[in-house]
Amino acid sequence: MLASGSPEEVAPSNTETKELESTPKVKQEELSPVNDEVSISNGNGADLHQETPQSNERQVLPDQPDLKVIQRKITGYVGFANLPKQWHRRSIRNGFNLNLLCVGQKGLGKSTLINTLFNKDLYDLSERPVTEMADLKLEDGVNPPEQLEEEQPTIKIETVSTEIEENGVRLTLNVVDAQGFGDAIDNTDSWNPIVDEINSRFDQYLDAENKIERTVITDNRIHACLYFIEPTGHCLSPLDIEFFRAVHEKCNLIPVIAKSDILTDEEIEKFKVTIKDQLNEAEIKLFEPPKYLIDDEETTNRSDKLHSKIPFAVVGSTSDVSTPDGRVVRGRAYPWGIIEVDNEAHSDFVYLRDLLVRQYLEELRERTSNILYENYRSEKLKNLGIKQDNSVFREFDPDLRQKEEKQLHEAKLAKLEAEMKAVFQQKVNEKEKKLQKSEAELFARHKEMKDKLTKQLKALEDKKHQLEMSLVNQSANSPVQTKKKGFLR
Amino acid sequence: MTSDRALVGISNLPNQRYKIVSSNGGTFTLMVCGESGLGKTTFINTLFQTTLKHVDSQRRNQPIKKTVEIDVLRAVLEEKNFSLRVNVVDTPGFGDNVNNNKSWQTIIDFIDDQHDSYMRQEQQPFRTVKFDLRVHAVLYFIRPTGHGLKPLDIETMKRISSRANLIPVIAKSDTLTAQELQDFKIRIRQVIEAQEIRIFTPPLDDSSSPDPALMEHARQLIESMPFAIIGSEEKYDNGQGQMIAARKYPWGLVEVENDSHCDFRKLRSLLLRTNLLDLILSTQKLHYEAYRKLRLEGAGSTEDPSLPTRAPARKLSHNPQFKEEENALKKYFTDQVKAEEQRFRQWEQNIVNERIRLNSDLEEVQAKVKKLEEQVRTLQLRRH
Repeated sequence: MLASGSPEEVAPSNTETKELESTPKVKQEELSPVNDEVSISNGNGADLHQETPQSNERQVLPDQPDLKVIQRKITGYVGFANLPKQWHRRSIRNGFNLNLLCVGQKGLGKSTLINTLFNKDLYDLSERPVTEMADLKLEDGVNPPEQLEEEQPTIKIETVSTEIEENGVRLTLNVVDAQGFGDAIDNTDSWNPIVDEINSRFDQYLDAENKIERTVITDNRIHACLYFIEPTGHCLSPLDIEFFRAVHEKCNLIPVIAKSDILTDEEIEKFKVTIKDQLNEAEIKLFEPPKYLIDDEETTNRSDKLHSKIPFAVVGSTSDVSTPDGRVVRGRAYPWGIIEVDNEAHSDFVYLRDLLVRQYLEELRERTSNILYENYRSEKLKNLGIKQDNSVFREFDPDLRQKEEKQLHEAKLAKLEAEMKAVFQQKVNEKEKKLQKSEAELFARHKEMKDKLTKQLKALEDKKHQLEMSLVNQSANSPVQTKKKGFLR
Repeated sequence: MTSDRALVGISNLPNQRYKIVSSNGGTFTLMVCGESGLGKTTFINTLFQTTLKHVDSQRRNQPIKKTVEIDVLRAVLEEKNFSLRVNVVDTPGFGDNVNNNKSWQTIIDFIDDQHDSYMRQEQQPFRTVKFDLRVHAVLYFIRPTGHGLKPLDIETMKRISSRANLIPVIAKSDTLTAQELQDFKIRIRQVIEAQEIRIFTPPLDDSSSPDPALMEHARQLIESMPFAIIGSEEKYDNGQGQMIAARKYPWGLVEVENDSHCDFRKLRSLLLRTNLLDLILSTQKLHYEAYRKLRLEGAGSTEDPSLPTRAPARKLSHNPQFKEEENALKKYFTDQVKAEEQRFRQWEQNIVNERIRLNSDLEEVQAKVKKLEEQVRTLQLRRH
C-alpha cells in the first residue's frame, strides 16, 4: 500500500507529518565514554592478594622472592664499624630518659630508695611522717562506717621529675608514684588506676605516632615498675600476685624486697625462693637482662649474678655513717653494726642500680618500646577493627614489582574499558530506541492518516456514486418531466 | 669507693646504646645514579674494599636498553664484628638514550615506592618484621666534562634532593687537572645554588659543647663538595713498599686514598666513617616523614586519633608503555563511537527518506480525495 506512493515531491505540504522532522542529532560528547577521571583508587595492592582470615591475627610473612645476599667479612678498614660509635656520640647529644613507676604500700621506704638510687633528694623525707599520721587517723575508723567506705584512701598518681647529669651525660628522670596502693581495707581492683595510668601513657604515644605531623614524640611510657614487697619473710600476698598479673605484660616489672635489713640472710634466701616459685606458678614475666655476644666472661658472669639476685633485697639510705674502720658510707647504723647500702655483701642495692641504670636502662626502654608497647598497640588496633594486611611485608624485588605494576595497570585498563563499554553501550541503546520510536511513530502516523484519508476517499466515492445514481435516475425521469414541462409549455 | 658511690652511673648510658647497636647491626641503602661508564660499579667495590659487583662486561657490549631499570645488590658485610646490611641500588640505562626526558622517573618512583612500602608496613597492627629499603644516600655521578652540569643532571638532582640525601660526585676526576677541577667544582656549586638543589651536608653539632675536631672535619667536607673521586680495584706499589689502590698511568700513579689526588677519603668519611648515622636518621626524620605527611594529608585524617590514617592507594609508576596502552584503548572506543555515529546518521537519513516517501503517498491519496470532492461538488451542482 505504502510502496505505491512515489516520492516525487520533497517538501511535505502536510502539517500532520511535520513532527517527524525533529529527529535529534547524535552528539559526539554524549556518546563518548572516554573519561579521564577514571582512576584506580580502589585497586590498591591489597586487592591483588586475597587474605585468609587467620592472618588477621598476627604477622604472617608472605612468600619472599628468592634474592641473593652476599655475605662477606672485611679485613681492611672500611669504616662502617663506626656506626655504634656514632650512636654513642649521638645519644650523649640527645640525652636519656627514664619513666619509673613505683608501687608499694606506705612505709616500705619507696621514697628513700628512690633518693638513694639517684643520689638526689627527689622526695623531701622530713615531711612524710606527718601526712602518714593524718592518713592513719582516717583509716583507724574515726569516721562512721558508711562514710569510711567513701573516704577510703584512693590511689593518687604523682609524678616527680628531675634531670641528672654525670660527665656530660644527661638523664631526665620521671618517677611516677602510685600512692596509697594496698593501704585500703578492701583492695579489690585497686590496681586499676595504675593499669589505667600505664595504658593511657601507651595511648598517648600511639596517638602521637599516628599523627600526620610527628617530628618529635615525647616518650612518656612507663619503662620500669619497681614493686615493693613487704619483708614478711613468708610469701607474696594475693594482692601482690594480682597486681603482677595485671601489669607484667605492660611494663618491665622489677620486684624488690623492701627494708630487707629486718631479715637475716637465710630468711632472705628462703623468702626469695618462695617468691620465685610463686612468680613461676603465676607465670609472671619479669625483665631479663640480655646477653651480648661481644661480652667478655666477667661481664657475662656479672649479668648471671644480677639475674640470680631477683627479687632484689634492698635497703635505702641517704645518710652518711662512719664505719668502725673509718670509712664514711651511705647506710644505716644499728647498735649491732652498720648496714652499707653500696656494699654487695649487705644488700642487693648495687644490683638493682645496675639493672635500672648502669647496665640495662636502655634495654628496659628497648623492651618497653619493641615488645610491650607493640603488643599493646597490636591488641588495641585489632580491637578497633583494623585489618592486618600481610601482603605489604615483602622484600623489594624489581621483577616482582614490575609484575605487580603490570597487574595494577591491567586492572586499571580493564576498569577503564568496562566503564567506557558500559557508557558506550548505553548511549548506543538509547539512540537505537529513539530512532526505532521515531520510525514506529512515523509509520503509525502515516497509517492513521492514510486510514483517515482512505475513509474520506471511500465516503466521497460513495457519495459520488450516490450522486451519480441519483443523476441517472433524474435523467431517467426527465422525459416525464420534460413531458410535464412540455405540457406546461 | 666514695667517688663510685656518688655516681648514679648515668655516664655509662651511651655505652649501653653502643652495645645495643653493636649487637643489632645496621642497614645502609645506597643508590648510585649516573650515565653508564662513569665508574659506579668500580667505586662501590673500592668503597667496601671487596668485589661486591663484577663490572658487567655483558651489559657493556649489549645495545643500550630503552628504559631505566632498577638493580638491587644485597650484602651483609662484617667489619670488626659489626655487621651491616648493605643495599646498593643501581639504575642502569639512566641518561644513556637520545631522549632522556623523564628518565629520572624510574629513580624517583623507586625512592617514593620504598617510603610508601615502609609506611604501609608501619601502619599494620602486627609489624615485628619490616623490610626497609628506604634510600639513605644517592650518589649522583657527574661526567667530568669540565664545563658544567647538563639539563638532565639538574632536573634529576632537583627531584632527588627533595626526597633523599643527595651527594653529587665528580666521576673519574683524574681526567681533570687540579685547576680544571677547581673551576669545575665552583661552577657546579654555583648551579646547585642557583637551582636550589639541596645537597646533603654533615650536620654541625648544635649542642652546647661541640667537639672542635668534629666541627673542623665537617667544615672540610662541606668545602670539598662536590667530591672528586676515582676508583680502582687494582693495587700498586706506591714506591715505599706499600700496596695501595690506585690507577697507573705512564706519567704517574693516581692514589685513591690520597687527599691531594682525589676526595675519595672524604666521601668515605661522609658515607660511612663519621656521618653514616646522620644519613640514616635524616632519611627517617626528614625525607620519610615528608613523604608520609604528603601522602596522609591527602587522605584526610580519621576522627579517632588512635586509628592510623589510611594511606591512599599506591600510585602507579609512570611507565610510558602503560600510557600508550591506555591511549590505544581510548582510541579504540573513539573509533567505535565514530562507526556507530555513521550508522545512526544513515539510519536517520533512511527515516527522512521514508518520511518523504510516505508524505508523497499521503499527498497522492489526498489529491485523489480532493479530486473526488471536486467531482462530488460538480455532481451536486448538476443535481440542482
